[in-house]
Amino acid sequence: MNKRLLLIISVLLVFTMIFSACQNTDTGKPSEEETIKIGWIGGLTGDFAPWGTCESNAANLIAEQTNANGGILGRKVEIISYDTRGDAAESVNAVKRLITQDKVIAVLGPNTSGQAMSITSVLNEHKVPNIATVATNPTVTVQTDGTVNPYNFRICFIDPYQGAVAAGYAADRLGYTKGAVLYDVSSDASQAFSEYFQQTFIEKGGEIVAVEGFKGGDVDFRPQLSKIKEANPEVILFPYNYKDVALSANQARELGITATLMGGDGWPSEVLMEMAGEAIEGSFIVNHLDIADPVVKEFTEQYVEKYDIKPEINAYLVHDAFKLLEAAIIDANSFDTVKITESLTKVTVEGLTGTIRLSEEDHNPIGKQAAIQEIVNKEYVFKERYSPY
Amino acid sequence: MNVFLQQVVNGLSIGSIYALMSVGYSLVYSIMNFSNFAHGGVIMIGAYLGYFCLTQLGVPFILAIIMTAIGAGLLAVSIERIVYSSLRKRNAPSLYFLISAMGASIFLENIIIASPIGPTFRSYPAIFSSTPIMLGNTALSRIDLLMFIISFISLILLIFIIEKTKIGLSIRATAFNIKGSTLMGVNVDKVIFIIFLLGGLLAGIAGMLFGMKYTVYPQMGEITTKSFIAAVFGGLGSLPGAVIGSILLGLIETMSSAYISSQYRDLIAFTLLIFILIVKPTGLMGKSTEDKA
Repeated sequence: MNKRLLLIISVLLVFTMIFSACQNTDTGKPSEEETIKIGWIGGLTGDFAPWGTCESNAANLIAEQTNANGGILGRKVEIISYDTRGDAAESVNAVKRLITQDKVIAVLGPNTSGQAMSITSVLNEHKVPNIATVATNPTVTVQTDGTVNPYNFRICFIDPYQGAVAAGYAADRLGYTKGAVLYDVSSDASQAFSEYFQQTFIEKGGEIVAVEGFKGGDVDFRPQLSKIKEANPEVILFPYNYKDVALSANQARELGITATLMGGDGWPSEVLMEMAGEAIEGSFIVNHLDIADPVVKEFTEQYVEKYDIKPEINAYLVHDAFKLLEAAIIDANSFDTVKITESLTKVTVEGLTGTIRLSEEDHNPIGKQAAIQEIVNKEYVFKERYSPY
Repeated sequence: MNVFLQQVVNGLSIGSIYALMSVGYSLVYSIMNFSNFAHGGVIMIGAYLGYFCLTQLGVPFILAIIMTAIGAGLLAVSIERIVYSSLRKRNAPSLYFLISAMGASIFLENIIIASPIGPTFRSYPAIFSSTPIMLGNTALSRIDLLMFIISFISLILLIFIIEKTKIGLSIRATAFNIKGSTLMGVNVDKVIFIIFLLGGLLAGIAGMLFGMKYTVYPQMGEITTKSFIAAVFGGLGSLPGAVIGSILLGLIETMSSAYISSQYRDLIAFTLLIFILIVKPTGLMGKSTEDKA
């Protein structure tokens, strides 16, 4: 009995020695040729798998391209991806592991606000920056009391911004002066979208003639739409997802409303075209980018060539996050995480999703252009990149 | 004035959907004294049946609606046989029925999600032109008109069956007093079979119309919550009560979003309903718990 126990203990000790020895050779003498490590977290399994896999793939692709061009500051780059299953607690573990074991200089991802918010304290403790990809909730970078999370950044625009873009485009480019809104009272994003639409539309000299609400799960919008019709707006904002968009658009046309419809990134979907193709003809939507944009097309082709599948929108955002990080490292001329963090708000990058410069005040992209798409013959046709400011 | 008329049309059209659904609740309640929440599931399956009849089998509309009604009727009857009949034989309290009904409803929803049909939204092919009939400035959609007509015919037929036929007489007798009618030679099993069949037929029609008007998805049974509330409001167990309650709920909802605030629509509409139920606990047409149907 005692012999076996001794054996087990000695075997364990040997392993410990081997591992600690390995660790020592890894971190003991940093050489000039050593690759620099960048972490990525997100859901590779579970509900978010399609988006997570795409992001992680895209990050690897960009790292490869960067290495082929000589790396960053002469050093090769390596992406280390950990699966969070879309879970907030798992994200904390993944980031801890990335920072303490893998010694990453920055973390890219995750692709939901919930995960991005959970890792703040770990980032602050170790002073390592994170650039979130599609976490659109405002509180990811700025807490509700107004304090900025020093190491949380994001590459995408936030929910309220979509509203400002839609309003600016409607007023400036389309020349509308009378707007109306129908929004989902049970959704935060829809509410923020509609508030900022109204605010910006009024700032631009327009008038909001009707604001109506419904509750998620409703299928009949005609009482609200009849009121909107009476107010006779030129443009109506539908800031919610495709199912409700399809139903409300069809019902609006049924009631004889001819106003232009506008929406956000909740619209694009094959089902929407099938359900309401005719009703949304001539509508405008605010999206993160347009895949028909030539700059974007090139990256899409490279991605398809390597992975043999069409990339999701996340691929472009992780691309831009990587490019921003690269620029910050070059600006800082150092791999020190604190210096990189300082540089993140100093550099400007031409990304696939627009010109990117992060604000010092809220760590969100400043005046990032959104892609405006028009629906023509049941296709999303790219109009222009647009920013209301 | 025009807007008011339009809102009346909107309210009636929403109310008539509630009516088709709430009658099924009332029918079952009048005999078995429990709220059959599986009804929402049957409506949902009905919507899918109609969808597949039209898109996969390509049958004409009238035939599709008849097939759907029969399919949903058979489903409702089999739910009764599988889920409720054993409870009934053991004289289980109505709470058990209620819980089994909820279970059946969740089962139906999830079987669609798990099946190859999946959780995606589906839309019926356009059978009727979506251009509305304009009465002055008031838009009257063709599908609404059709729904009015079909709901009206189905409800008239139902009332005829209940009031004028022999089976209707036994349904009314059973509703009045289940033990007494058994003693008088009424076959209660048969009566229960008939009410589930009738409820199912109507659920199939309601589901198909609902699907045509809006869309089809596994959670659509949830909309029946409101029709159930309408049935309670009208007086559970009373058929005319269910119809009137539904139409009124549709109108109250529409008018509160039209003239008070659409953001607070449900709050206003349901506060009003609670108030009415406080004043008249049995609902508008409900008499006492003894005297139903």
